Amino acid sequence: MILQTVFIGLFGIAAIWFAVVVFRTHSMVRSALALLFSQAALGAMFLAMQAEFLGVLQIMMMATEMSIMAIFMVMFMMDPGGLGGMDMTHQKRGSQAAGVIGAFAALGVAFLAGWGSPAATVPGPQEQLRGLGLDLMERSMLIFETAGVTILAAMIAATAVALATRSATKQEGNDE
Amino acid sequence: MMPLYIALAVGAIMFGVGLYGALSQTNLVMIMMGVEVMLGGALVNLVAFWRFLHPTAYPGQTFFLIIMTVMALDMAVGFGVGTARFRARGSVEMEEARELKG
Amino acid sequence: MTTVLVIVALLVGAYLVAVLESWTSTGRLSFASPLLAGLALVGRESLVPRKSDRIFFEVGPVLLLVSAVLAAAVLPLSPGLIITDLTTGALFVNAALAYVMVALLMAGWGPDGAYAMVGGFRFLGQLVGYSMPIVMAIVGVAMRAESLVTTQIVESQVTLPNAVYQPVGFMIFFVAAMAVCFLPPFDLPTAPGELAGGVMAEYTGWRLAVMRLARAVLVVTLAASVTVFYLGGWNGPVLPPWAWTAVKTLAVAAVMLVAGRYVPRLREEHLLAWYWKFAIPLALLNILYVGIVLIAGSSSSMSM
Repeated sequence: MILQTVFIGLFGIAAIWFAVVVFRTHSMVRSALALLFSQAALGAMFLAMQAEFLGVLQIMMMATEMSIMAIFMVMFMMDPGGLGGMDMTHQKRGSQAAGVIGAFAALGVAFLAGWGSPAATVPGPQEQLRGLGLDLMERSMLIFETAGVTILAAMIAATAVALATRSATKQEGNDE
Repeated sequence: MMPLYIALAVGAIMFGVGLYGALSQTNLVMIMMGVEVMLGGALVNLVAFWRFLHPTAYPGQTFFLIIMTVMALDMAVGFGVGTARFRARGSVEMEEARELKG
Repeated sequence: MTTVLVIVALLVGAYLVAVLESWTSTGRLSFASPLLAGLALVGRESLVPRKSDRIFFEVGPVLLLVSAVLAAAVLPLSPGLIITDLTTGALFVNAALAYVMVALLMAGWGPDGAYAMVGGFRFLGQLVGYSMPIVMAIVGVAMRAESLVTTQIVESQVTLPNAVYQPVGFMIFFVAAMAVCFLPPFDLPTAPGELAGGVMAEYTGWRLAVMRLARAVLVVTLAASVTVFYLGGWNGPVLPPWAWTAVKTLAVAAVMLVAGRYVPRLREEHLLAWYWKFAIPLALLNILYVGIVLIAGSSSSMSM
């Protein structure tokens, strides 16, 4: 129990530290990979909380997601290496205030609400996998199916939006 | 009781950091990173509630999967919009997107 | 103890893979050449390019090695010879292999060189192609074993290895595994002769030695995973279990290394088109096929 507390705390601090690094570094690739390590630290935290499947899933998904983010940042930004030291923030005060207020509101709810006594034991990983699978295929099947259809819709929508229109490609041809 | 509070605190602080990032950055991709950090905080809370309050109720884990789907989807659609915007205007700086105000 | 044994096995495997690889490229079977080349690399100066992203430059090769070893940690070499028998073993292999791409991206971006960066981003594009088929192929394997535990996956193949049970999945997994360890038809990130070494171009001295070692370990890991998931792992007559794993793994590695020599290097867009239009539908059909076979098998055994 003490070991679990220590590990949750350590990985939590790592996750927060990397999340702060995301917005403090000037190099875009660094900030994308800092986000990746923040999310991977969260995955390690889930492992410490004995949610084995979720932790491994988080670690796996985030590697791909954040690397793709890195390539888009390099594509879209003027200064991806951050060598110019450009300031890319606006409304700093307001957002700092919003961030602090948001965090404190969430902290307040977390610490003031009565959560009751925590469960001491959890089912083993094998049982968890089985329970999750049965839940997905029985009670939550409709929700899961909806998620699948949403993925399909989003894929089509994203491709349709990102496809080059005829006028855009013609403009590029004229520039050359 | 201690681990639950630590996990919830991590979730809350991640949410705050993400909110700051999403509001303060001018670039579309950085704003999406802020959103991802916020969703990460939400994931921590979900797992903490599942582990410490209802370890035998699996809809909590299902909810986790749904949020993970949402994270992937917001990236896909966001990058689609970003690509279209970049093609049309040559930048994804949101300060320059004032004409979207209408 | 098991950890030490597995790591020694990986190193020996990497050495043999290096011997095989030099044989496929030079035509001479020299058992000393990898050791001599390694020693020479360690002795040379390891340059750091100007204006490099120092953290990524240092971390890249090490992360490549770590992810390859982590993926091998859940693969059983013989009954009991496994570092951790995770409940989500088959998923964990994928999670560890995803970091191969992160390592190459770091190694590509870090040294601030054009060829290296093109190589790193090419591998990212390659990942978009291979990651889906490899996961879907593993789904078929896990369905038959009714478990994600790698030892149970091996035990489910006592009667019939998965390569015969689901040949389509085997082919998809094999090709995708070759893409993961960027062997010749898929060696877009390194691309000798076109990118001048790609992600490895800016590395010299002991850093290059680490990177080459990591690549050889990665080949061994993927060959071992093909063995575990599709060729029945340690199952086999006469020989002891560890010997069967070793023989199968080396055979798979040899086929991977030799096969690529006779195929021209694929272009990025052709690779993606083939993976998305061909391999993913096939992998889905494979899942459907395995499901049908499983249901038919269980109903016939119930009626008997």
